[in-house]
Amino acid sequence: MDRSQLSHPASSEEAPLDPIMIEIIRNALLYASEEMGIVVRNASFSPNIKERLDHSCALFDEQGRLIAQAEHIPVHLGSLPAGITNTLAYLQHHNYQLVEGDMIVVNNPYIAGTHLNDITLIRPIYFDHHLVGYAASKAHHTDVGGKVPGSISSDATEVFQEGLILPPVKLMVKNVFQQDIAQIICANSRTPTARMGDLRAQIAGNLRGELRLQEVVARYGWSLFRGAIKRILDESELRLRQQLARFPPGCYEAEDFLDDTGQSDGPIRLKVALTLAGESLLVDYAGTDAQVQAPLNAVLGVTLSAVYYVLRSVTDHTIPMNAGCFRPVTVHVPAGTILNPRFPAPVAGGNVETSMRNADVLLQAFASIAPERVPACSGGTMTNLMIGGDNWAFYETIGVGMGGRPGLDGIDGIQTNMTNTLNTPVEALERHFPIRMTRYEFRENSGGAGQWRGGCGLERGFQVLADTAIVTLLSDRARFAPPGLQGGFPGQRSERLLLRSTRREQPPEMLPAKTTLVLHKGDELIVKTPGGGGFGPPDKREPTQIQREYEKDLFTLEEQGESR
Amino acid sequence: MALYRLGIDVGGTFTDLLAFDAQSGTLLRYKVPSTPQAPEEGVLRALQALEDDQLDARFHLISHSTTLATNALLGQLNLELPRLALITTAGFRDVLEIGRQGRSEVYNLFVRRPPPLVERQDRFGVRERIDASGAEVEPLDEPHLREIARELIRRQIQHCAVCFLHAYQNPVHEQRAREVLLEEARHLAVTLSGEVDPQEREYERTSTTVINALLAPIVRHYLLRLETALEAQGAALFIMQSNGGMAGVAGVIARPATIIESGPASGVIGAANLGRLLGIERMLSFDMGGTTAKAGTILDGSPQIVGEFEAAGRTHSGRAVRGSGYPVRFPFVDLAEVSAGGGTIAWLDSAGTVRVGPQSAGADPGPACYGRGNQEPTVTDAQLLLGRLHSGQIAGGAVALSHELAEASLARLAEKLAGFGSIRLAAGIIRLVNADMAKVLRIVSLERGHDPRLFTLVAFGGAGPLHACALADELAIPSIIIPQHPGLFSAWGLLVADHSHTELQSLLVRANECDPTWLEYLFHQLETKTQQALEVETTQSGQISFRRELEMRYAGQSFDLALPAPPLLDQITFAQRLEAFHTLHERVYGYAAYEAEIEIVTARVEAIAPLAKPFLSAYPLGQSQPAAEALAGQRSVYFDETGAFVPTPIYLRESLLPGNTLRGPAIIEQYDTTTVLPPGWKGSVDPFTNLVLERDTE
Repeated sequence: MDRSQLSHPASSEEAPLDPIMIEIIRNALLYASEEMGIVVRNASFSPNIKERLDHSCALFDEQGRLIAQAEHIPVHLGSLPAGITNTLAYLQHHNYQLVEGDMIVVNNPYIAGTHLNDITLIRPIYFDHHLVGYAASKAHHTDVGGKVPGSISSDATEVFQEGLILPPVKLMVKNVFQQDIAQIICANSRTPTARMGDLRAQIAGNLRGELRLQEVVARYGWSLFRGAIKRILDESELRLRQQLARFPPGCYEAEDFLDDTGQSDGPIRLKVALTLAGESLLVDYAGTDAQVQAPLNAVLGVTLSAVYYVLRSVTDHTIPMNAGCFRPVTVHVPAGTILNPRFPAPVAGGNVETSMRNADVLLQAFASIAPERVPACSGGTMTNLMIGGDNWAFYETIGVGMGGRPGLDGIDGIQTNMTNTLNTPVEALERHFPIRMTRYEFRENSGGAGQWRGGCGLERGFQVLADTAIVTLLSDRARFAPPGLQGGFPGQRSERLLLRSTRREQPPEMLPAKTTLVLHKGDELIVKTPGGGGFGPPDKREPTQIQREYEKDLFTLEEQGESR
Repeated sequence: MALYRLGIDVGGTFTDLLAFDAQSGTLLRYKVPSTPQAPEEGVLRALQALEDDQLDARFHLISHSTTLATNALLGQLNLELPRLALITTAGFRDVLEIGRQGRSEVYNLFVRRPPPLVERQDRFGVRERIDASGAEVEPLDEPHLREIARELIRRQIQHCAVCFLHAYQNPVHEQRAREVLLEEARHLAVTLSGEVDPQEREYERTSTTVINALLAPIVRHYLLRLETALEAQGAALFIMQSNGGMAGVAGVIARPATIIESGPASGVIGAANLGRLLGIERMLSFDMGGTTAKAGTILDGSPQIVGEFEAAGRTHSGRAVRGSGYPVRFPFVDLAEVSAGGGTIAWLDSAGTVRVGPQSAGADPGPACYGRGNQEPTVTDAQLLLGRLHSGQIAGGAVALSHELAEASLARLAEKLAGFGSIRLAAGIIRLVNADMAKVLRIVSLERGHDPRLFTLVAFGGAGPLHACALADELAIPSIIIPQHPGLFSAWGLLVADHSHTELQSLLVRANECDPTWLEYLFHQLETKTQQALEVETTQSGQISFRRELEMRYAGQSFDLALPAPPLLDQITFAQRLEAFHTLHERVYGYAAYEAEIEIVTARVEAIAPLAKPFLSAYPLGQSQPAAEALAGQRSVYFDETGAFVPTPIYLRESLLPGNTLRGPAIIEQYDTTTVLPPGWKGSVDPFTNLVLERDTE
């Protein structure tokens, strides 16, 4: 390309652009971010990334603005961009130079914006020795140390108990892999081999993103590229503003609760007020409860993820996701609350449980703005389950019932809202871990009745085959059922049953939603996830549909009759 | 008397027939409308057309590809799937419906899950258990199974699939279940997961088994009708499978899910055969029709194969959307597909950006220029306006294109764009659709670790040759081959495919615990099994050859890489395979982990029996100047390279002879397609009458 065009990136002027060129560049960048994700998935070691796809990839411009993000996990949606912004600010503040050939690794949630398990790798991209952008990938590493296998505990009181904390440091210098940094990460994990493999996969993903971004810059030239980026961001902003303008202006409020911290009884309030004024939106969380001494605090990046997820879902999900989408929205989260905690509050469950409730509360607020676009509440918990012992750690989240939707029933047993990770196949799980699955089925009668019923939750049973295993459960909706909407009934609450092998004849022990306990050989844990809320009054439901659900054994007639 | 081998490709719109007589080298072609409700009628009509022409024609071999299985899964054409019962391990009857627990569109609150192929009330759990090592944990509850069998009789269900956990390791419970079921209900057709797809992962295996059981009666019914209709001819009937190998009727009836991608596989096999003929090691196939474009990779004359496919699913940017369809774990020709074809529609989004697709006007109503009711501009309309297609009759009079209608459709869209005229818009639409299609070529080359600059593009389908040079420019592919009959190339692929059968065995052993002698023994067993299957199906088999494959991964990973295995495995060749795995992993994923353990996942054998196929004769190269009658005229054509309309010669493909050379800009027209040769490209006819396009360096 023409070197003179590169001489001073910041001073680039508006290049002659047409809508065709913009579309081609936008697609090329989106394709690049998707390709990054595929490279990470294919090359990673751990089932969590490979099978469950718990990772995200994105490209940023040289100012750190999001320009393309593959559609991976929603909870990474806002946290990855916030992570880049914060990391770059951190580096600047600490006078830590980022140069060509570097790659940063960071997992400090107060900087990189999720929890310690999510390790973010950031690659500055240079073309002809000029900074042209960044590639970033974030992946959930199954174990990063901490007090329990899987690192996500139910009772941490500080982030220090949740694993190794990495501030932004260089995992690659002049394109040389920094073995010593990687060894620190591995040494702090219960599953070191997989850590190394997964880090390498993330590096490979970032390098692929780098190559693709360089190709685009080389092909179109810096000035045209800059101009296209500006237009790409502007157009996403415009399309989102057009959508917002269609909503009736006003202030809309909603609140919902997390059951408790697991250590204390009190419910935790999440409160939001949406103020729509023409083409812009103010999201204000004033009134949300203070941060807690339990791993339920959601760092700001996670809170933003829920805002962007809900906004994208209730407006037009085909709007290309980039920094332009953030512009019409102002988010105010009081510091020191559970949605914007202060260091060193523990955060492991913030992006899994609290973010789910945040999505619920936002959707409920939007339900009064655009009732035809918003479903009743889905299960509202990711149901994090960690089982581990000597040199093994298994982590998964379990699907729920989706809320009933205007015109459609909720889907049974599926990941909703902030997550979309796949299940671990029973046969793969049993091959890798000393666990036998005893059931994996829909939880009958658990969906809320309604004109459009809520989906049923899932039942998943685990029998321990090792002598002992430590189990940690971090879940919710055991107390406050997923609400219905427009007259629909709530879905069933979550339940956890424990059958001790030594006390098979006795009724099962009911476990709290957030707990850590030791299981012995033969003990069986059965997790029942919540059903979704129903949409619309149940008496409006077609009798033929009720009959059908009955025939499918999903509901008993009495159950639906009772609800009516 | 002429003795023909026939290739009959049944597509959505047309049924194509190619007939080849080995003695005279005659190649005849016929195109008749498809009859989707009863596809065999179209087939018979095409045959009738041939017989009317050639009174003494005899056929010894009929190769066939069909969209029947796909249509049945998509619920199209009133093809009704039978009611099926599914029997699983107790506690796991919803595995089929839960799938992988994800939703196919993350930000769509109104997303739907594909409806389960077996309703919940027809899914039964039975107490039994085998563990991951294959050991029995809990015996099969036979009394319960007998009750279920009686219930199936009450419900008048005749088809039943049995999918128990870890049946790929130990099939005894499934086998016993079949015995018990048949004892109670002799009419039942029972399909076992351990026989259909003996591989780990219960959802994928269950889905594959269920689809197989569901398609069986439909495919069986169709093939037996077709076979009866063809009986008088005494010709052997073969069906194209999704992996590019032919199977006999009996083989397909046993595993009907193997023919789901029958049609697309045919084209790639045609391309692979061309590659072998011409001695080209690396090729990318590009097949573009009215609604979709598909790309595949061919290395050393063999198409790349994947072990799994989502049937009836959606694609996004060329990749299958996980969870949008039904997984089928059989070998498939690895194709990336994008919704881009001649009928693909251009439109404006709310920010005023021009978008192309994924909506398509298809063949009916078709592009605006067809004048059949569609007013929106399509890719074909853009090509017409740019002069690359001519107005008037095409495809032997099947359709007439109207320049005015094309222009009107584009003008309506251009009005809404500041500073855009119809021409600039048309050129833009072509660039957009090319960028979209370049993605599928990227997926099958760069994403798989191949450098497209080392590849030759084979472009076919009705619209492939219109876009080939632009795509080659996009990926820096140096040369392109346009075969003789690009629009009938799938039928051509049917004429050159071989008879094949695949068997596999799940291994799941660590390489350091794996005895090569044992592996050699397993391969030998698989070879015997495949050979027997081939011999049962045909009397035509000549020398059978075997293709061995090992699927491996680093222990702990769950995506496998397939490597060819040598005909004799011993300590040395086995060690070489492990080394080759590291190298391949490095090439595909960017690193090799020499310190990690390798797991041998699956052993697979494909037995191949060659079928008599046409040979293409090489003609001597004549003069480079085309004959006068090859030049049909001249018209004004727009090229991106010139940014304007330039006078462009129009050549007739059928009058071009080996040795003839053309310089771009030029347009080459033929019965079934149009080839665009932009400025900076040159084209020449090779000894086999393929058109070879290369960058003009002079």
